[in-house]
Amino acid sequence: MFKTVEEYLDALKNEMRDADSALVQDAQADAREHLSTALAVAREAAPEASEADALKKIIEEYGTPEETASAYKEVERRTSPALKQTVKPRSVLGRFFGVYTDPRAWGALLYMLIAFVTGVFYFTWAVTGVSVSVSFLIFIFGFPFALLFLLSVRGLALLEGRLVEALLGVRMPRRPLFSHQDMKWFDRLKALLTDKATWLMLIYMIVQFVLGTAYFVVIVTVLSISLSFIAIPILQAWLGQGVINNNDMRYFLPTWSYPLLVLIGFLLWTTFMNIARSIGQLHGKMAKWLLVSE
Amino acid sequence: MTEITAQTKKFQKELNSGTSSLVLLSVLSHSREPMYGYQIAKLLEESGPDFPMMKQGTLYPVLRSLEENGLLESTVEPSVSGPPRRYYKITSGGRSILEEWLEIWKQTKKFVDAILKG
Repeated sequence: MFKTVEEYLDALKNEMRDADSALVQDAQADAREHLSTALAVAREAAPEASEADALKKIIEEYGTPEETASAYKEVERRTSPALKQTVKPRSVLGRFFGVYTDPRAWGALLYMLIAFVTGVFYFTWAVTGVSVSVSFLIFIFGFPFALLFLLSVRGLALLEGRLVEALLGVRMPRRPLFSHQDMKWFDRLKALLTDKATWLMLIYMIVQFVLGTAYFVVIVTVLSISLSFIAIPILQAWLGQGVINNNDMRYFLPTWSYPLLVLIGFLLWTTFMNIARSIGQLHGKMAKWLLVSE
Repeated sequence: MTEITAQTKKFQKELNSGTSSLVLLSVLSHSREPMYGYQIAKLLEESGPDFPMMKQGTLYPVLRSLEENGLLESTVEPSVSGPPRRYYKITSGGRSILEEWLEIWKQTKKFVDAILKG
């Protein structure tokens, strides 16, 4: 039925087409590891037997693609990814203010701050790596250098995936993408260069710079404006400073507006927390689209 | 006839989904060295050659979920031929959980045996 391991993997992928793409990638890695090992053992025991025959027996023991796919889906249903929680239906107000107890909102906020640092790093790494790799290609050692760089991109993509899953709660791969061990390094470089996933990862690394900077600026701005509103009563009543201090002129807001100002500051920040949570979810979707190969 | 086999298969599958975590944890607690999936599958096959307890492919997702819950830990090592292998090792948390599970298993076994005897 299946002549090669690849055929089985394709059937398994097809069987899991509705499943989470990160889960599919993990299932592929496990199946590839098991079937290749079993095939190598079978070949050693009976070198004259054909690969298809050996594979038939191995798959009989491993399970059909349907059986394997259902086993993964079953286990995944029982173990929920990080930060996933059952959401109880709440009123609009409850949902709005409930954002403070939602770990996804705080996770998204933290992620947006971290994205500034990682974004700068990824961008530097990608731009330096690409330009140095391309210019080194006129030398012999340029090829292994390019290979190392592209492999580092894969590693960084996996790391970023772990960060995204931990902070944004979006399921990401837990296994590195497979690359053939027995290939010559030149073929490996070619395979990496022709793989769409490599380029998508590089795009993500560059986009992260723009997004990370924007996230950071927005967080700092909104946080300072919200805190300023909340601080106006303190400034005016205790420190004697005006809202606007211009030379000798100090402009004060009336005392009756204090509760209103604090409320505005608080509402502004709460609104932003809600927006941050949505941005986090959107960013997770984008990360999945760019970093997880189909 | 086919109806009965389907029912039996389903029963076997349901039993396995409960015991597989216990079996895998126990196998890894007995092993001194970290083991990879194929090794574990072979060992299970040798322990009960006439008892097709579960398809080998179903072991892997269980191993993964045990790792996610902190009962196992794993490292990836390159292999001479073929893709890299994931080696699993039981954690100290896994060992203490295993003791609790064994106790539950003993009690369940005693209870079911007593009921079956009538």
